[in-house]
Amino acid sequence: MSDSFLTADSNETFAILEGMLSTSAPRVRSTDAPSVFEVKGLDVSYGKKRVLHDVSLDIPEKRITAFIGPSGCGKSTALRCLNRMNDEIPSFRMDGKITLAGQDIRGKAVNLTALRRSVGMVFQQPNPFPMSVYDNIALAVREHQGRMGKAELDAVVEQALRHASLWDEVKDSLKDSALSLSGGQQQRLCIARALAVKPAVIMLDEPCASLDPISTARIEELLLELSTDYSIIIVTHNMAQAKRISDKVAFFLMGRLIEMGDALQVFEAPVRQETAEYIRGAFG
Amino acid sequence: MTVRADGAILVAQPGAPSTIDLTERVSSTASDRFMPYLLGAAAIFSGLLVMFLIYFVVQRAWPVFHSEGLRFVTSGGWDTQLEDSWGGASFFGVRELIAGSVLSTLGALLLSVVLGLGCAIFISELAPRWLKRPFETVVQLLAGIPSVVFGLVGLMVVVPFIESHLVPMNSGNVVTEIPIAGSCLLAAIIVVGFMILPFFVTVASDSLRAIPRSYIDGGLALGMTRWRTITRIQLPAAAPGLVAGIVLAAARGVGEAIAISMVAGAIAFIPNLAHGPLYALLEPIRTMAAAIVENGGEAMDVPAMAAALFGLASLLLLLSVVLSLVARWSFGVFNRRMGVVSDRAL
Amino acid sequence: MLSIHGGGRHGLGSKVGTVLCWIASIIVAAVCISIIGYLLWKGGHSINWRFLTSDPAASLMEDAAGGVRTPMAGTAILTLLSIALALPVAIGAAVYLAEYMNERWWITRIVRIGLETLASVPSVVFGMFGLSVFTLGTFKFLSGSGAEGSQAAFGRSFLVASIVMAVHILPFVIKVAEEAIRNVPASLRQGALALGMTKWRTISKVVLPAARSGIATAVVLGMGLAAGDTAIVWLTLGGSMTMGVDKWWQVGNWIATLRGAGSTLTTFAYFNSPAGDGNSAGAAFGAAFLLVCIVLVFNLAAVVLFRRRNLNGR
Repeated sequence: MSDSFLTADSNETFAILEGMLSTSAPRVRSTDAPSVFEVKGLDVSYGKKRVLHDVSLDIPEKRITAFIGPSGCGKSTALRCLNRMNDEIPSFRMDGKITLAGQDIRGKAVNLTALRRSVGMVFQQPNPFPMSVYDNIALAVREHQGRMGKAELDAVVEQALRHASLWDEVKDSLKDSALSLSGGQQQRLCIARALAVKPAVIMLDEPCASLDPISTARIEELLLELSTDYSIIIVTHNMAQAKRISDKVAFFLMGRLIEMGDALQVFEAPVRQETAEYIRGAFG
Repeated sequence: MTVRADGAILVAQPGAPSTIDLTERVSSTASDRFMPYLLGAAAIFSGLLVMFLIYFVVQRAWPVFHSEGLRFVTSGGWDTQLEDSWGGASFFGVRELIAGSVLSTLGALLLSVVLGLGCAIFISELAPRWLKRPFETVVQLLAGIPSVVFGLVGLMVVVPFIESHLVPMNSGNVVTEIPIAGSCLLAAIIVVGFMILPFFVTVASDSLRAIPRSYIDGGLALGMTRWRTITRIQLPAAAPGLVAGIVLAAARGVGEAIAISMVAGAIAFIPNLAHGPLYALLEPIRTMAAAIVENGGEAMDVPAMAAALFGLASLLLLLSVVLSLVARWSFGVFNRRMGVVSDRAL
Repeated sequence: MLSIHGGGRHGLGSKVGTVLCWIASIIVAAVCISIIGYLLWKGGHSINWRFLTSDPAASLMEDAAGGVRTPMAGTAILTLLSIALALPVAIGAAVYLAEYMNERWWITRIVRIGLETLASVPSVVFGMFGLSVFTLGTFKFLSGSGAEGSQAAFGRSFLVASIVMAVHILPFVIKVAEEAIRNVPASLRQGALALGMTKWRTISKVVLPAARSGIATAVVLGMGLAAGDTAIVWLTLGGSMTMGVDKWWQVGNWIATLRGAGSTLTTFAYFNSPAGDGNSAGAAFGAAFLLVCIVLVFNLAAVVLFRRRNLNGR
């Protein structure tokens, strides 16, 4: 029941590794989709330290957008602006405008809970609550949907776990502690938890950074499937990953958005010098 | 619906909502709004309790402070005044009680600091790995033993021991004012010394452990022995922390009432050094705290006595507040030296 | 710079110093163990069924002090009531200090200083505080009337003692609880917030459950303090060895019992010690034995809970 390298079915292992090692071309899916997020002129600083300068971009609906760039370039900060998680930091200052489905996310009438329900987030380190697998999801669901009959709640939990491709592995141990799952399973549980509240956008901040290759491959496969229904933004420092799954790519460097475009175009024929150098591996 | 290669079936559901409305009224219960106020009230109430304490104690002591002023602390004769107060007298002088508290606390501090430093160094440097935890647990246990138990053991072990081994045969000839017996200052020092020892040991060993390794390595590289680095480098560096530990232990010691009332002789008397150090230690004492607990029950019926006891309580309160603030300041100095930026001293 | 610190295993390089430290530690350990051992030995003699199930007898004769049934009940009542009163306030304050309060506000400074000074106030002062407040006429409901014809309340009862004891243990419970709450990893809070939970819901549904065992440690610590204190009890509950009401165990009499005086194991031991009026060392030792057992159990529980916290919910 674990997705560790050593116990996976050998055929599946070879298939996954083959997929990862092949230097296949980046995905080609039409990206003239409507925008779900529009960011204009985003400036961010923590106290006196400026971390983002004049970032403007659009996130297409029901596609996978990747934020790439070296460490400390501001991509995670940009991500966290989209669900206003940065608001929790006292020294955070922001200028510019971010709209979600046409509504300014910092508008006066905006309900922060509604925003965060619509924009789910998965973190770099899996952070399941120290409760059972079932309760992790049930808690999230109850937050947003209030009172629910047991049968209905069971169904929602099952659906979320199936959606995150975790159901088969945990269906007999729903009451066990979430902390007894492997790293990859915990991360898929966090994805299931985020899915359970029915967001429109799912954001992942380096979700596979602490996982082994097999788990990483499973999650990438999952994201590809989810992108037919959800808009996905993924921050990654793993360029191969970005190549494998993203439709659109935004390259950040030192707090600025250097280049953004279709994955095919950015990886094969980058416009900017810096982008070309980063992709080549000149710096990381 | 998609079927994966391994046969798993993913049920497609209308996953993402068709519309996003950020202004929808999400039912947040009222508790989200008033909870912070309720919690804040609990925090502020707790922080201000000490103010209530001060007010209600000092207010009841006012009669005796008002009528006597500083003579309350400078004059003596507590024991007889207590007797007389039943008949209506209302003058009280607590000089002996103050002396009792000071002497017993200083003595206890001496005992606990000397032993405690040894224990602290043992814990942080000497103890073999398997012994460290058990020893710390033993010290913690000492802190948890109730004061009445200390008093009982002191009464049944320490006092008879002093009586039979330390009190000279002809003591009655040397000291004529009061009987010399096992219940004396020395007994109080021994008992209270061990009571307050865990407080000092905890703080001292934490302080020693907080000294950066680089200080020690510097000394060792210069050829100093471990012992020298401890005495010449670590202890001086940890000094503010140690001071805080001493002050905290002192506060605990000065406030101890039950154990002292059981072993110290319960006579308000200032040990007379003219009789020599041995006799001075063997003379009985009474402390401020012990005096309160010995008379507190009946005092409420006699207003003058009650006021005097509240006066003693006020003095103790003043002392413990001052000691607490000194400890806090000392911890602050220590933390700043160690580069810790925090307002939380303890 | 070469680092040649070999730790304690290689000694301190000073025989005298090493020996002194070892001696000091052995003395301390020996004292602690012998106190407990002595008590178990002496007290064990007094523990028999009659001792545990009979009530204290008012007698000046040695060895006729009766049993500890009511003092045990008294200890139980006092301990449970004190922690019940202190816990809600303590958790509320701990949550506010850990989650809402900013260390730079001036009000935070005041609260922290207030709690620290409260923690260093001696028991006897708390006892006098209790007498000062609860003899006021407005508090008659807590303890009944005072002397004939006076406006004052009597000022001594289980209710009064529990309230005062709760105030005494409050700063310690707050400190341990706050520590427990702060130790909950930030990643859990972030996860909950990202799911759209409000701050209070995050605290009540995620943070507090995760801090369970640390809070349990705080509870056990508070109960240990309450069970072991004598001065507060002696002053606010009085020195009477029996309960204020006959048949105090009947539910209908509970209110009256709480409003009345009584004793606990600590005051029983104090009273019966050779230094007290009872002059029955055997009974005092028996009570002290039970006390030490209770305190050991509480300490053990605290250690176990503390260790469990480190294993659960990494």
